This record gives sequence, C-alpha cells and structure tokens, in this order.
Amino acid sequence: MAEVRLNTVRKAYGGQVAVHGVDLHIRDGEFVVFLGPSGCGKSTTLRMIAGLEEITTGTIEIGGRDVTRLEPKDRNIAMVFQNYALYPHKTIYENLAFGLRMRKMDKAEIDRRVKSASAMLGLDPYLERKPKQLSGGQMQRVALGRALVRDPDVFLLDEPLSNLDAKLRVRMREEIARLHQEVGTSMVYVTHDQVEAMTLANRILIMRDGHVQQVGAPLEVYDRPANLFVAGFIGSPEMNLIEGHLERGALKAGGLSIELPPGIAVAEGTPLVLGVRPEHIGVGEAPGAHTFHVAVIEQLGAQTLCIGEVAGVRLRVLMDRTDAVRNGTTLPIQFRPGRLHVFSKETGARINRADADVGRRPAA
Amino acid sequence: MSSKATIYSFLILGLAVTALLIVAPVVYAVSLSFYQMDSFVGAPKWAGLDNYTRMLSQWVFWRALINGFIYSFGTIIFQVVLGIGFALVLNQVFPGRNIVRGLSILPYLLPTVVVVLTFKWMVDGSIGVLTTMMSAVGLPQVQWFESPGAAMASVILVSVWMWTPFVTTTFLAALQTVPSSLYEAAKVDGTNAVQRFFHITLPMLKPILTVIVLLRAVWMFNKFDVIWLLTQGGPVGATEHLAILSYRQAFGQFDIGGGAAVATISFAILSLVVFIYFRLFPLDTE
Repeated sequence: MAEVRLNTVRKAYGGQVAVHGVDLHIRDGEFVVFLGPSGCGKSTTLRMIAGLEEITTGTIEIGGRDVTRLEPKDRNIAMVFQNYALYPHKTIYENLAFGLRMRKMDKAEIDRRVKSASAMLGLDPYLERKPKQLSGGQMQRVALGRALVRDPDVFLLDEPLSNLDAKLRVRMREEIARLHQEVGTSMVYVTHDQVEAMTLANRILIMRDGHVQQVGAPLEVYDRPANLFVAGFIGSPEMNLIEGHLERGALKAGGLSIELPPGIAVAEGTPLVLGVRPEHIGVGEAPGAHTFHVAVIEQLGAQTLCIGEVAGVRLRVLMDRTDAVRNGTTLPIQFRPGRLHVFSKETGARINRADADVGRRPAA
Repeated sequence: MSSKATIYSFLILGLAVTALLIVAPVVYAVSLSFYQMDSFVGAPKWAGLDNYTRMLSQWVFWRALINGFIYSFGTIIFQVVLGIGFALVLNQVFPGRNIVRGLSILPYLLPTVVVVLTFKWMVDGSIGVLTTMMSAVGLPQVQWFESPGAAMASVILVSVWMWTPFVTTTFLAALQTVPSSLYEAAKVDGTNAVQRFFHITLPMLKPILTVIVLLRAVWMFNKFDVIWLLTQGGPVGATEHLAILSYRQAFGQFDIGGGAAVATISFAILSLVVFIYFRLFPLDTE
C-alpha cells in the first residue's frame, strides 16, 4: 500500500500535447477515478503511472519513491486492462501465477496467493481452463485476480468494465468496490462512464483535452462543478444550460428572467450561462412560477423526464414518476436560487460562491 | 432449384474438378509404377512390384531420400528462424519501415531462373562478386558446385534466400494480430524482452508456425526447379533428391516405371510425414 504523487506530469507526442500537466496526490488506500470523454488523456495519464508511456516532463512517486524512469516491473503496480489481456495459451492458474513466477517467488507462496485470490473472486472451478473457455465477466475477474495476487502498492484499472454488458457491469462494479474495501490498496481507475466514477470513487479527476478540469469527491463535483464542461459531463440526465446575461440580480434569457443566488460578482450585462439540473427544478404552483410547455415525455420508471420549453428556452425537467403529464401539458415550475450554478459564458468557469448549498437536500 | 439440389450440384462440380485435375493424374502416375515402359508411346508391360524392388535396392534411391531430408530440414530451419527474426525487426517502428517491408518481399517475386543465374554469377570463379569479396578478405576460393558439401550448401542458401520472404511476410501478418496489451501485461508482470518472446510471441505464433513448417516441408521436399537449375542433382548425386531422381529415371534413363515408382514412394513418405506431423502438432490447440 502506498500513496501516489503526480508532479506536473506532462505527455507530448512530437508537437501534440496529450496531457498538459497533472498534479495529483493519491492518498494511501484511496480510490481515484480518472473520468472524461475519449481522447481526454485519462488513459495516457494512467499508463504513465504504470510506466507503459514515457513521461515527457514531470515526476511520479509511488510510496515516496521516484519511479519516473523505472520500468513497469520495478514500480510494484498491477494493472487491469480493458480487453483483460489474459495470456490465451496459459490456464487461468498460470495466468494468475505468471507475474509471481517471473519474480521468482517461492512455489508454495505462489500457490497460496493464487488460491486465496481465486477463492476471493470465485474462480476456483476455472483454474485449469483457458481464458477462451470463460465468459467476459469471468475473464475480467481473472484479470482482477492477476493484479490481486501481486499484492501491489497500487492497482491501475484501465476501463475494466467497458467490454461487459450493462447488467454484468453493475455486478462487477460492486465486486470492485468490495475488493477495494477488503484489500484497502490505492486504486486508480479510468472510465468514461460517470456512473462508475460516481459510485466507485473517493475522488474523481475529470479531464478534457489533456487538461484537468476538476478534482473532488463525487458529490462535490456533482454539487459544485468547477466549469461548464464538468457541469455538462456529470449528471444524468444532463444539466440544463441556459445562456443569457446578468440584469438586476437575475439571468435574462429570451423572455425568461431567473433570480440568481447572491454573490454573483460580475458587471451588469455580463453574458452568463446558468446551469440547473433537471432534478432540481421545482414543479408546482408558487409565487413567480414559470409556465413549462411539455413537448416530449420519457418514462424512466421511478421518474418521469419532461422535455419542453419555457418562454422560448429549451429545458429538461425530472420529476417523480407521474402518468398525469402528457405531450402539450403545461406545468408551473420554479428555479430555486440555492440550486443554480452560474458560469461565465466567456471562460466557462463557475462564478457562484463555492459554498453555495446547491444540491444538498434539507435535513428532514 | 431446391437448396439440397444446389448443394449437390456444387459438390458434384467440385468433386469432378478434383477428380480430373488431382485424382486422375495421381492414379495414372501410380499405375505407371507397376509397368515397365521406356517411353509414353510404346506398349506398357506389366511389371508388378519389380520397379519398387529395383529402385529400393539401389543406393541412389537411399542417397536421394537422405538428401531430400537434409535439404528440407536445412531450408526449413533457416527459413523459419530467419523469417521470425526479420518479422520481429519489421514489426518495430522505424523510419522508412513500409519501404523496407516492401523491399523484403522482392526475392520471392523473382522467377527462380533469375535467382539461380544471379547466384551463379555471384559465385563465378573469375568474375563473381562473392568470389572477389572472399578473396579480398583472404578466404580460400570455394568450388560451389564441385564439392558435395558446398553444392548442398548452395542449393539450401539459394532456397532460403528465395523463400524466407514468404515466411517473414506470414509471420509479420501474424505478429500484427497479437494484441499489444498482452506485451504490456507481461511487462507489468515483470518479464524482459526474451521472456516476452518465449511467453507471448512464440505461443501466439504457434498456429501459424505449425502451418508454415508443414507447407515449407511439403514444398521443399518436392522442390525441383532450384536444384535442377543450380546443380541438376550433382556433383555425383550430392544434391539429388527424390524429385530429381524420379525425373532423371523417367526422362534421362527412359525408365518411366522406375521414375513413377520413386515418385509414388516419395508421395507415400510425404503423406506419412504429414500424418505424423498433424498427430504431433494438431492445428486445433484447444
């Protein structure tokens, strides 16, 4: 077990910069998820920690040791690959034992570790099989087991669940969470799936175009997205983003005027983008309510998503499941200032006070 | 037409072509081996197994058989080892890689007669570039086609030079199907480059290797043109293998039955080798 430090780690391929300088301190035993769309540099950053990509500038420390120029085998890391990367010609037992054999570990100790990992992951019946004879979920468990037997300082997982179907993905997600609790080793996990990030991480690092956008606990990035990109990327259904300008403490957008939270320290007339999550729009009569014209209904089961417009502005509203709303229905809605996110249109940066109580439900 | 009729019509067509082009000549050749004939126009005389006993009792037959094995093993080992080596090099990233890959296939594209003539000129006793180079560094002149060992070495050398590109290209294609993540996983698992070759590359190439060795073995065992053009089986039979012997017997000695008997024995040996090979290295590795 160890902590991991990335000190302004940068990666360039010729003139093309893939990662612009990541600074991150992963605490001992922490589960950090790198999240972002394809090509954002999250996998490259992970591979730099693994030693599979050379670092252009910056340094990486694992357990207080500078590993920047070390080979992957000398970093005491274990990695789980997206396509499992199991050795097809070796049995599951041999796959699990291979890394230990290469390190000239005592045979009895190898056997003990393999048996213990296979028991932990329910692989006992498959030890003599070849990877081809296993299902996707079983193969992924072998890949996890191969990392587990090594007892590394840090686990690196590169989109480990993206080759699995939706149902299996949820099961394996739970298994990874359980594994982390049991072994307590630091884990770095790369994904483009925000649900995986939100459910697994102690902290999420969100990247875009090689730049770190925000680092924070899952609810922190949900509650206080640092910029427009994070606001749009985190949360499903996606946050409503309404463009307008500041006018006497409110956002003016077409025919719509929305009262903003206090502490917006920008000049009158400044172009702004207002963010409001579909689940944070209040539905019901109240003073100052706006009229929302429903155009499309999406039944999600426990909730109902209404897509429509208010005073010419397109909006998504998520409410508790209802059968009463139809296409063409009008609903009274309100925007609660405490649940609004205000961003500069020019820079995309968040401009409401960091301590706004967005997203927190009042205690019952 | 019903689907069954379609299937049968394709099947019958395929069988007919096979029978016409493969089965009939084989049966005809085998049947020739039971007759005594000195030409294809004269009347054949039934000879039973005489041709076989006659050929098998001759030292030239056994020499040709041993030569065939030496030539096949020699060429296959060098072609496979060099082929894998070149494929590994060509699989690396370096400037101009595509041009080098293209050039590396060239020897395979040249007609055998061109390759053989080029080699003959290279080792020519007075003007050959190889001869000149060897004498420049003080090496003794080699009589390439006059001493038995050197003659065998030269037919192997030319064959290896000509057909290694085929092996290289096949292995290169196979190498590109090995997922890079396997190598990365092995790096994380603590392997060095040599261990990665033996634990990843070689096992991943095994199915292709199995087929290549078999194909090359069959082709080399039957290879006629290179040896005929270079040495005609000489000197004094040092490079004569069964294919050359069969030809010389049938068209040089006008003993068509004897030539056919040699060809039939060669066919039987090869079939046996292929059978044993598949038992030892089944293609389906699961």
